Amino acid sequence: MRRAGLRTRVSAAFAIGALALSAGVTFVSYELISNTLFRERERAAVRATYFDAAAINAGLTGPNPDVRELLQSLDFGADRYVLLEFQGEWYSRSAGPAASDFVPEALQEMAASGEAGAQRIRRGREASLVVAVPVQGSAVFYEIVSLGELERTLQLLALVLTAVAIMVSAGGAAVGWYVTRHALRPLAAVAEAASGIADGDLDTRLDPDAEPDLARLTASFNHMADELSRRLRRDRRFAADVSHELRSPLQTLAAAVSVLNRRRDSLDERSAAAVGLIADEVARFQALVDDLLELARSDQPVHLEDADIGLLAARVLNTRNLPAELIEVEPGTEVDWHVDRRRVEQALGNLVDNAIRYGGGPVAVRIGPGFLEVDDAGPGVPDEARATIFDRFVRGPAANARGGGDGTGLGLAIVAEHAAAHGGTVSLADRPGGGARFRIDLPTR
Amino acid sequence: MSAVLLIEDDDRIRLSLAMALEDEGYETHAVATAEEGLELQRRQPADAVLVDLMLPGMDGFECIRQLRRTDDVPVIVVSARDDTHDIVAGLEAGADDYVVKPVAVKELAARLRALRRRGRAASAGPSMTVLTFGDLEIRPEAGEVRLHGEPVAVTRTEFRLLCELAEHPGQVLSRQQLLSRVWEYEIGDERLVDVHVGRLRHKIEDSAGKPRHLVTVRGLGYKLQP
Repeated sequence: MRRAGLRTRVSAAFAIGALALSAGVTFVSYELISNTLFRERERAAVRATYFDAAAINAGLTGPNPDVRELLQSLDFGADRYVLLEFQGEWYSRSAGPAASDFVPEALQEMAASGEAGAQRIRRGREASLVVAVPVQGSAVFYEIVSLGELERTLQLLALVLTAVAIMVSAGGAAVGWYVTRHALRPLAAVAEAASGIADGDLDTRLDPDAEPDLARLTASFNHMADELSRRLRRDRRFAADVSHELRSPLQTLAAAVSVLNRRRDSLDERSAAAVGLIADEVARFQALVDDLLELARSDQPVHLEDADIGLLAARVLNTRNLPAELIEVEPGTEVDWHVDRRRVEQALGNLVDNAIRYGGGPVAVRIGPGFLEVDDAGPGVPDEARATIFDRFVRGPAANARGGGDGTGLGLAIVAEHAAAHGGTVSLADRPGGGARFRIDLPTR
Repeated sequence: MSAVLLIEDDDRIRLSLAMALEDEGYETHAVATAEEGLELQRRQPADAVLVDLMLPGMDGFECIRQLRRTDDVPVIVVSARDDTHDIVAGLEAGADDYVVKPVAVKELAARLRALRRRGRAASAGPSMTVLTFGDLEIRPEAGEVRLHGEPVAVTRTEFRLLCELAEHPGQVLSRQQLLSRVWEYEIGDERLVDVHVGRLRHKIEDSAGKPRHLVTVRGLGYKLQP
């Protein structure tokens, strides 16, 4: 699984923090409010019960008072329910459900022992409060007060507080998103500079004064860029030095061999054969040095210019004594390309040379929109060779060792480098009807 | 037999190239420094100069500039350095051609022959054609170029290039066409053409930055117009 981005993570952390904070605040305030409200309600209920109990107490006179009448005379609201336990009998205002079922045993015992008390109970789905006040004799007066309304109020409060908590955490996430956007803005400058360097602009540096908080990043980035350009320059200078050091002795060899070659007829057979070998190897060594230096410099930016790709292909074939009739231009192909002429010419030339050396000669050079293809008449490339065919110093079995025999083993690697320098690709397929088909895809504009 | 001056500091290259050039039929004066080369050229002028760029003391660039001050002798740079910067600098100093070591002796001989043909073409024929492009006059047979009636000193290669363009007035010639007609290259380095065009502009244009006669046609090549 892909790891969530920094912004997502920071926003999530902000949201979780805000949620924890607001949930805590909500929980504490809910508890405080509900406790306070319940206590208030209980105190009011207890006070009312004492008041009523006093009236009952006054009414319970004589040996046989009419308890039911007495209860009826009291003025109760709809949410109050009264009970009187008198001489072991339960009395209530209406026939109603068995009143004694609601009153918890513990409360009954406590009241029987002469102590007043209150307890929250659940009557059906409704929360209620039972208040017990002992009156004269062994009678106990009970009032059951519904707390339903209070509960509904608290439910609403809980709902509101939850909504607030959710909004606060959403706000936290938004703040996190916004803050990270600002915090990450200097990194965008770093990213831009890095891609500038990757594109070959080695002088790109970050301004160390732009963002004091990122001074370390800026300093190490600039240091890295310095190191990189120093190394690149050193590599290029090395390539130039190697070039000079290798080419100079080659020049002596080439000139000396040509002097010897001219006198080959006056040499004995063995010497003449040896001179021939030296001449061939000097030529191959020269090709190898040229290819190696080409590869060493292949990372340099391309020099784009307008080129007629048809003329270019014709020239490639002409210099190899191949007929221009091999060129097939796909109908509707624009032949004016904007490419590095030298490199494309060399890449196409290497593919043609490859076809000559290993593929029995090219049978077609096809030009299409943004691609060049070279078909050969060889046996095709075996599967196991395909993965490495564009690597350096990989050679195929020479099918037709014409001319200089084995190649340098760098030709196709150079093709791949030139294609990559243009932002293009090189690929290998089977030609319908046998043989290999090498293809270069290039952006042509 | 034509004479070639070879300025090359590497003893082995100088020796082997001198032998190989003599095999090709050139009388070769081989020296190790630019100073000796300039001195020898004064006393005993050769028909062509081959010069290395990296020389002890005076370098190849300065040597070409000094040669050019007094002489329109064809100059070919023979250098192991092949980066664009050196090639362009060598040509801008006044060289007619540039080859990178190691160069095959046959190839070098072909370059020298092409240069000599250029020299002959500029000074042969009795009739006096005058090609006029506004204030620019070109006399191919006399080897003369005049701007505002004043003679302009051009090298042989510059002159061949100008004549090639002048013979096709208003027509665009591609760099490859010019390379094959002036330098006799089948395929060659187009920078040769660009640098020579630049050098010519300094001589035949009132403002080289805003050429009126020798104009670039983008993507195609060059043409000469009044």
